[in-house]
Amino acid sequence: MSTTTPPARHRALTWLFLAPTVLGVAVFTVVPIVGSVILSFFHWDVIDPPTSAGSANYRELATDTSILTAFGNTLLFMVFAVTLQLATALVLALALQGRMPRWIQQALRSAFFFPLVLSAASISVVMKYLFNQDFGVVNWVLGQFGASPVPWLTSEGWAMAAVVLVYVWQQFGFSFLLFVGGLANIPRELHEAAAMDGATGLRKHLRITLPLLSPTLLVASVVGVINALQVFEQPYVLTDGGPGDATRTAVMVLYQTAFEQLRFGEASAIGVVLFALILTVTALQFRLSRRFVHYQ
Amino acid sequence: MTLTAPSRRTVLRAGGYSLTAAGLGATAASWDRLSASDIPGRDGSMLTVAVLGSAIDPSQQSVLVEDFQRLHPDIRVRLLAVQATDWNDFFSKILTQIAAGSAPDVVYVATEGVQLFAKRLGVALDAWVRRDADELREYFADVHPSLVESMMYEGSLYQLPVEFNAANMYLSGKVLRRTHAELPPADWTRDDFTALLRDMKRTGGRGFTPFFWTNRLWGGVVPWLFANGTNVLTESKAPGGDWLWNRFYPEKQRRGRGGGYRWGAPQALDGRVEEVYDYLASLVHDGLCSRPEGGSGTNLIGAFSTGRVGVTPAGGFWAGGLHEAGVERDAYDAQFFPRWRTRRHQYGAAGYAVLRTSERQDEAWEFVKYAVRRDVMTRLFQKNQTTPARRSMLTARRYAATGPAHWDIFYDTLDRFPASGPIPAPPQVAAVDLALTKHTATALGSAGSVKPALRALQRDLERAMERDT
Amino acid sequence: MTSVSYSSPSPASSPSSSGRLRERAGALTARRLGTTARVAGLLVVALLTIGPVLWTVSTSLRSPAESFDLPPKILPTGGTLAAYRQVFDQLDVWLLALNSALVTGLIAIGQMITAGLGGYAFARLDFRFKRPLFGLVLATMMVPVQVTIVPVFLILKGMGLTDTLLALIVPAVPTAFGTFLMRQYFLTMPKELGEAAMIDGAGPWRVFRSVYAPLATPGLAIVGVLAFNYHWNEFFRPLILETSNQNFTMPLGLVSLQGNLGTGSISVVLAGVVLSMIPAVAVFVVGQRPLREGITSSGLKG
Repeated sequence: MSTTTPPARHRALTWLFLAPTVLGVAVFTVVPIVGSVILSFFHWDVIDPPTSAGSANYRELATDTSILTAFGNTLLFMVFAVTLQLATALVLALALQGRMPRWIQQALRSAFFFPLVLSAASISVVMKYLFNQDFGVVNWVLGQFGASPVPWLTSEGWAMAAVVLVYVWQQFGFSFLLFVGGLANIPRELHEAAAMDGATGLRKHLRITLPLLSPTLLVASVVGVINALQVFEQPYVLTDGGPGDATRTAVMVLYQTAFEQLRFGEASAIGVVLFALILTVTALQFRLSRRFVHYQ
Repeated sequence: MTLTAPSRRTVLRAGGYSLTAAGLGATAASWDRLSASDIPGRDGSMLTVAVLGSAIDPSQQSVLVEDFQRLHPDIRVRLLAVQATDWNDFFSKILTQIAAGSAPDVVYVATEGVQLFAKRLGVALDAWVRRDADELREYFADVHPSLVESMMYEGSLYQLPVEFNAANMYLSGKVLRRTHAELPPADWTRDDFTALLRDMKRTGGRGFTPFFWTNRLWGGVVPWLFANGTNVLTESKAPGGDWLWNRFYPEKQRRGRGGGYRWGAPQALDGRVEEVYDYLASLVHDGLCSRPEGGSGTNLIGAFSTGRVGVTPAGGFWAGGLHEAGVERDAYDAQFFPRWRTRRHQYGAAGYAVLRTSERQDEAWEFVKYAVRRDVMTRLFQKNQTTPARRSMLTARRYAATGPAHWDIFYDTLDRFPASGPIPAPPQVAAVDLALTKHTATALGSAGSVKPALRALQRDLERAMERDT
Repeated sequence: MTSVSYSSPSPASSPSSSGRLRERAGALTARRLGTTARVAGLLVVALLTIGPVLWTVSTSLRSPAESFDLPPKILPTGGTLAAYRQVFDQLDVWLLALNSALVTGLIAIGQMITAGLGGYAFARLDFRFKRPLFGLVLATMMVPVQVTIVPVFLILKGMGLTDTLLALIVPAVPTAFGTFLMRQYFLTMPKELGEAAMIDGAGPWRVFRSVYAPLATPGLAIVGVLAFNYHWNEFFRPLILETSNQNFTMPLGLVSLQGNLGTGSISVVLAGVVLSMIPAVAVFVVGQRPLREGITSSGLKG
């Protein structure tokens, strides 16, 4: 765009473009966040007026093993879920690129995207049954291959695995869609040139496809991370955070602290820390991306 | 970037326009709901009653309001059916309204929340109960004192019990037949119970679990604690309450009653508590029951009705649930919880509480009184989705369609074991619930974890109980 | 942009020597085998993906007593619509659907408008505080709804909107994610188009309205479809913000099918899930094509 100052009329128009978004975001997100930050320095149980707490809520948070575990779980979940989500989506998008009847290709694409239209909460109720140790379908299928029943929802390691699987199952379609779009934008000549040079399969993808796809990868991973760090429904319905604290996530602990235990100040502190965490991870991603992301 | 095919563009655009037109039409037609200009009571001029939507048949909700209206034309009432999946959702909703200063006047509260509401939000009903004693005599004569006592806090009454559920045992007829076993006798013991599970296991095959339970405050590990004469918190009774007992209950029934339960110091390391966990761990170890799942027991009805589960703890509310799921009345039965050191059972109850912030407390009391009338309760509980708090409502006719054959044990649990106790729910209930379910899951999650889990439970309970709510 | 198929180079186009030809033929067979294996693998994954959905649908068509059969049956045995009849008996399905459609539709349309305008401004217009403002908008994506719900409730109360459908719509119309998406989308469009129009004397509004906005339809479709999906299934905000029965949305109404203390029939619960799935699937089917094109042509460059 030109660097000359636009006429005043244009400036007014610009702000008209921006107004709905900026004003809306300001009223319904920024103001509540500022409120939360302020509230995080108070004790408030909703019933009586707030009383000043200084930094007590933050100190509480730093010493409560359950909350710290929840933050640890959230990061762990994010790493597993986002990696698996991106990897699945990428492999499927690449596999779908090759030669096959067009209707199969479209059917597959719809299938992969489909779980995204479902409600996380109600599908988790279904999943809770499917993953049941004794009479669930998953263990029945595994049993056909001779595996003994897996305590999916009731043992610490498996419970996290189940939550990750259910989450990824529902979410990978979005990354998949992004990748399909990104791949389609890679000029065909580049592939052909690489093939001429004798590059095939994996090497071709590593050398040509991935670098060209890197901007899409960045968007997919940024959105993936932001969503994964706010995971709530799946562990809430599947395991209620358990067993123990094994699948308790930051948003779950926030919800429980506020709405079950009536400690809204402390919950706000958890929210502020979570927000800072997401902000940091996202900033880190953008920073790293300077090294790995190539723009055409 | 293409949108080259003009035909498609036209189609898209036409589609867009017609959608927009349809949308505008619908929007205009629904403007009332969009802006809520037609919703009565938004100005706060009505008595607002919040109930857990799933607990009351939607088709009966309006009846509840309309009949009350006919009786009290001067009180305008609005029923808020909170569509919560569980007690926690329900509470979130009520809290947000309280935070915004638009709290309801009357709230349906279960045992879990009785003491929290009593301590922080509720109004004691004592003065009204005294005033309307004559009117209420028939009600109290019909309701077991245990239920009433569970709704008292520090000598005052906060709710009139409407429904309750005691943790009994449900047994699958299919599985019993397969095992060639009879319904256990009323005085069965824990060892009889274990033996039955072993027999069931032998004939059960793959994908079958003799005993299944959900890890929660009601019907989880706590009934076993009661049966073994212990609990995770020390139990005592507040003084007071004579004003009520002397007024409504004969000498025999009021013996030992006080002013409500007091849940005190955590005692998760008590020998008997450990005994209970060791016992449950041994059941898990022997494959007689699976590790308990957290959350709601949504799948349990299905698993039980198809004979994948032999025995499970449940209360009267299950009779309706099984019937809805298409289970025949003779395909299952119910029995008391097995005896261990004691025959104490665990129960939970619910009723309407009046909020302190209400400006219509007298009207609210009229509603509370109305909601425990026999004819009103009869209409609300047609499907046996819970156990009515009035003894006279438990009749053979009521259970003729749904079963179980031994429906009489539901109320007999209270009559025969009057020392049965409510869910251990101090005002700090949320933290207690969280600690208990959390560490129960780890205690039974792997071999040898009972001891460390109970130590952690003790620590968390101490922390929870120190907190003032 | 038409499709993404057949991107592998066309084989056997220029034979040079017989040796290379044979080599090529061998490679071709291998590739064919590879293709079969790949398609088979993809089909397995697709089956895993929609398996739970098929199970949900088929279980809703069975009596509850058969619902936990193993091996799981995909085809309903003697299909019964009893569960669906019960859903209609128990709930005012049409009112719930109308409310949901109204709320979700208006949010989707609103988001398309605000995201289109906002995204364009952030991509193509110059103004002060552009970067910090954009950062601010992005940052709001990182706040869980559980954090803001109480303040939002208070704000809505101040506006007199609690327990109205507008309470669900108004706060959801400004969209950080949609704005972000549309900005990326507009960034991929050539600057020259606008500059050419300006030289022809078009003002900034004309440039947007007649040059860029028409090109943005697929991108807006993405925003619309995703907004519809998300808000159609929303539970927490309606739970907190709506109190009167006549304002309940679909997910809220479905809760009562779960019965007291989770004793509802699984078939009925799932019948409700399937019913509420239908409109979302319909929007997905209708929006699929522009959606695909939108994602494809945006490439979503950072």
